[in-house]
Parts: sequence; C-alpha cells; structure tokens
Amino acid sequence: MNDKKLKTFLAGVFDDFKVFAPAKNDGKLVVGEVAKAEEIDWSGQMPVNPWKKVFLPSEERLFSANGDKLVENKNIYPKVVALGVNVLDLRAFTLLERVFADDVYYQKRRRNTVVVGYSPDWPIDYKKYKVFSHNFENEILEHLLFDVFIAKLKNNNFAFYSGSIEGQKLLEKYNISDYKNIEYIGSTPKTSVDRKMLQLQEKVAKSADKRIWNELAKICLACGKCSIVCPTCFCFDLEDKVDPENPGRIRKWGNCFYNDFSRVAGGYKPLDDVKQKIYFWYVHKFVRIPREYKMPGCVSCGRCSKVCPVGINIGKVIQNISKIK
Amino acid sequence: MENVYQTQKARIVSINRESLDTMLFRFKFVDKKLQRNFAYLSGQFMQIGLASWGECPISICSSPSDGKEFFELAIRDVGPLTHKLNSLGVGDVADVRGPYGNGFDVDKFIDKPLVIIGGGCGFVPLRPLIIDYVNGRIKNNKLQIFYGCLNEQTLLFKKEHPLWNRNSEFVISLEKPSDKWKGEKGLITASIIKRDIDPKSVVVIVGPPVMYKFVIAELLKKKIKPENIYVSLERKMYCGKGVCQHCAIGPYYVCKDGPVFCWKNIKDIPGAL
Repeated sequence: MNDKKLKTFLAGVFDDFKVFAPAKNDGKLVVGEVAKAEEIDWSGQMPVNPWKKVFLPSEERLFSANGDKLVENKNIYPKVVALGVNVLDLRAFTLLERVFADDVYYQKRRRNTVVVGYSPDWPIDYKKYKVFSHNFENEILEHLLFDVFIAKLKNNNFAFYSGSIEGQKLLEKYNISDYKNIEYIGSTPKTSVDRKMLQLQEKVAKSADKRIWNELAKICLACGKCSIVCPTCFCFDLEDKVDPENPGRIRKWGNCFYNDFSRVAGGYKPLDDVKQKIYFWYVHKFVRIPREYKMPGCVSCGRCSKVCPVGINIGKVIQNISKIK
Repeated sequence: MENVYQTQKARIVSINRESLDTMLFRFKFVDKKLQRNFAYLSGQFMQIGLASWGECPISICSSPSDGKEFFELAIRDVGPLTHKLNSLGVGDVADVRGPYGNGFDVDKFIDKPLVIIGGGCGFVPLRPLIIDYVNGRIKNNKLQIFYGCLNEQTLLFKKEHPLWNRNSEFVISLEKPSDKWKGEKGLITASIIKRDIDPKSVVVIVGPPVMYKFVIAELLKKKIKPENIYVSLERKMYCGKGVCQHCAIGPYYVCKDGPVFCWKNIKDIPGAL
C-alpha cells in the first residue's frame, strides 16, 4: 500500500482510533484489533468472523443494580474504527443500523465508531462474491451506510468516498479533499423492488411442510455456529447478573439453535426440534427481515457454510428452495 | 434518546391470593405523574422484574378504564422470578416497563355476541374483557364464558364469579375436581360442544397450546368464522419490541404484532399454535 493518500489516512486513524480490521491470523483472515497498518489484509476476501462484535458486543451491561434500583450503566465507548469492511459486510452493517436505530447502547457506541468500507477492485466486480440472496445493484454505495469508503481502482490508485458528515470531517482532517459524497437513498432501489428477494421471501414462507427441512434436520446438529458467524444474526437475551460484587442487567448474544431459546416458564418450547429451529433461522433471514426492513436478511457472505460441521451450504439450500413449485 | 429498557418503579397497593400458586397484585407507579398518564388496552402486557432477578412478560388483567389509577397483574409462581415476586408484600416495589403488544381490538367485537374461552392461567388476559362487558363498556348483546381449569384450587378470580355469572352464561369445567364439585367435569371442549354458540359470535381463546386445536375445531363445526376467532399467544420474550427474536412466529412477533392474533392470520404458520 504505497498510495500517499491512503498512507496519510491510515496514519491518521491509527493515531486517533482503536483499529479493527481484517488481518491474517494462523493463515485465516480474521477481523480483530490491529496494532499497525502493515497487519491489515487488503485482499477484500471474506473474513471468517463477522464485524458485529464491533457494534454489538457478545455481552454488554445495560444496567447496574444499586440496591433495588436499576441504573443505566455508564459504559465506556472507546473511539473505534472498523476499517476495511467489504460491501457485503457493509450491507449487514446497514441492517444493524436499522434494527438498533432506537437502541441507546448501540447508538452511543456507534457515535464513537467510524465505519470505513473498502473494495479492492472498483467498479466492483461483484460476481466474485457469488451473491445468491438478492440482486446486487450497480450503484451499490448509495444503498449502503458507511462513513468512509475506499476503493482501489484498476490503475492501482485509491478513490475516497464519504457517506456521512463524520466521514467528511475525518477525510478533511487527514487532508484528503478529492473525495466524493455519497448520499444514502435506502437499502434497495426506490424504482424497482428486489424481485429475487421477494420471490425468496414467498418461497421460504410457504415451504414449512416441504421435504427440504426434514432433510436438513437429519444432518443439522443445531450447534448454532452458523448463527455466531452470521453478520446479520443479532438476536439477544437479557440476563441479570447474580454477582454480589457487581449486580446488574446484561444483554448477550442469543442463539435460536440453543435449547432454551424459546422455552417459556413451565417448560413449553415452541422450537422443540431441529427442523423447527433451522426453519426459524431461515424465516428470520428470508421472511421477517425483508418484511420489516425491505432488505435481505442474508448478505451472501457464505460464513455459515464455511463453519457448518455437516456441510450445509446456504447457497445450495436457497437454490433448492427456489426450485420448489 | 430514551432507553427502551429503562424500567419504572411500581408499588404494590394490594394483594389477593387467587389460587395455590397465583397472586393478584394491584400496582401503582411510584411516580404519580406516570400513573396519571398511564394507558393500556385489554390484552396488552407488562414486563415486570426485580434487580438481579430478571424480567418476564405478564398480561395486564385490570380494565383499561382503571389505568389512570392502577394496573393489576396476576402472577403465577412458575420460576425463580415469579416465586420471588409472589413473596412480595403490600408496599414493596417492582420494576416494570410497558405496556407492550397490540391488545384486543374491541371495536371489532361491537354488536356481535362475545364468547370468551380460557384455559388455566390463560384466563388472566381475558379478565379485562369481562370486566368491561359487565360494566357496559363493551357493547355486546351477549356474553358466554367458558373456563377450563384443573381443580377448584387453581381457579382464578373466584370472588368475581358470582357477578360474571349474573351477567353472562358462565361455564366452568374442571379436569380433576374434588368430590364436592357440582359443576361440569372434564375438558372445556366437551362443555363447548354441548352448547349453542351463535355463528356470528366473536370468540376469544387463551390457554395452553394443546387447547387451541381442539377448541377451534369445535368452533368451526359451529360455523364460527375464522376471522372472528382471536387468540393471545405466550412466548419467551426479552425486549418487548420485536428485536430480540425469541417470540417470533413466522413473519410476526408475538410481543409487537401480538400477543393477540386473529386466528385467520396465523392458522397457516407452522408452530404458531
């Protein structure tokens, strides 16, 4: 990375922020905190883990108990930059922004977080991501939320874009002036609905009694790894800490494959077998999220397929569901 | 920005032991202004909890017309939190937030005979409807109440039964009553089969999952229209606002789109009932 502008930018963010970026770790591409710019991987490939922990920690304290009083916890939100988020992960981030729009903890953390997207080849060759869950627009940046976007052009130069006032301020601060402003116009194009997404929404909603779920249930171990690595799996539990030193209410990642996910007092479990659980997971991605947010709940990152111990491939599952008459 | 998880203190002003395991609590917000501005609908629920004990959703069982004065929750001792709540006394405080959910759309009940069917502690969210009918706030020409319960000890709101009985056709059926019981025995379905129900009726059913299937099958035989059958569902919930996903059924959230659903809209969703 010899580009002068990029170097100035990186020097600036390493001075001002805690930096999270994709980096090679034991041969794997992992999103984590990096100490210096040289560690960052610029391949644009899909990291094994998602970015969601930067925005939604796996466990976070909402309240501290002071006697019998629950007091909103004064969490410390360090200044963080999520650097090098690829376009599919930005789509997942765009969804989180909508889901947690009125969540005070998410928003406070977000205020101290700068999101820097990145594409290694621009205009983007999206085919390499093998997107199966939605249509991929050409004017992709207008449909994504981010603060700064960096694109490596065919001539090996870098182009900078700003997606927010914070992004503009940052670029100006680091003396990058030839950036382009991108205005977010919604997660999907206004003029045309994403037909692929809508078709899938209908197919999945109507497929509950189809054989495909029995077949998947036969092999799925309900281990929940797919949900942990999924950038759009955001469900959570609230739990009170019975720690006498530091009692309070916490929020932690939930997992719809785990046994107690749906258990109500008295023992009734609406999601009681693997078939119900795996179908629930797909319905969230392909039915509920499109219905609520008019955007796909799967960004086609393929992480779940890579970690699945029994080789369930979401792309193939979706292909098979599409074929159901 | 408002913290949607922030609870408010509510003080217990009276307690009535309803059954072996269920207490009826009347709460008032400690902050008087909150109470004055408090409004809810029949069928909505509150999240109630105690610091270090967690939270759980409980249906409001008082009439919305009392909202500016108090709200009532009938709490059954089924786990550590509800056990702790049931040990509280008058003057104690709990943490609440809400109300949540859609509640019953009573405008759709107008001018139709109303049938209320409750099973076990599922009867709790039905009480506001009965209170409002008895007081003339729900304008229906007829009320039938079917209440299925295990035995005399588990029957709720016993003090009010004479009043309900005067104002409606009130049928209790106990599965395992004592020898002294003179009323109907067995499952509530049997009591429903025996009686005439106007096909134009609006029917509201709340009970354990197993009850819905049998009761609804009988109602359909009596020519009740699917769009006139309402249920209120129980699910695990944390957030109360359609984010945490625990209460999702098909495309809907029980906490936000429910807990009251028109049966017609959910009958084809696998696992909903």
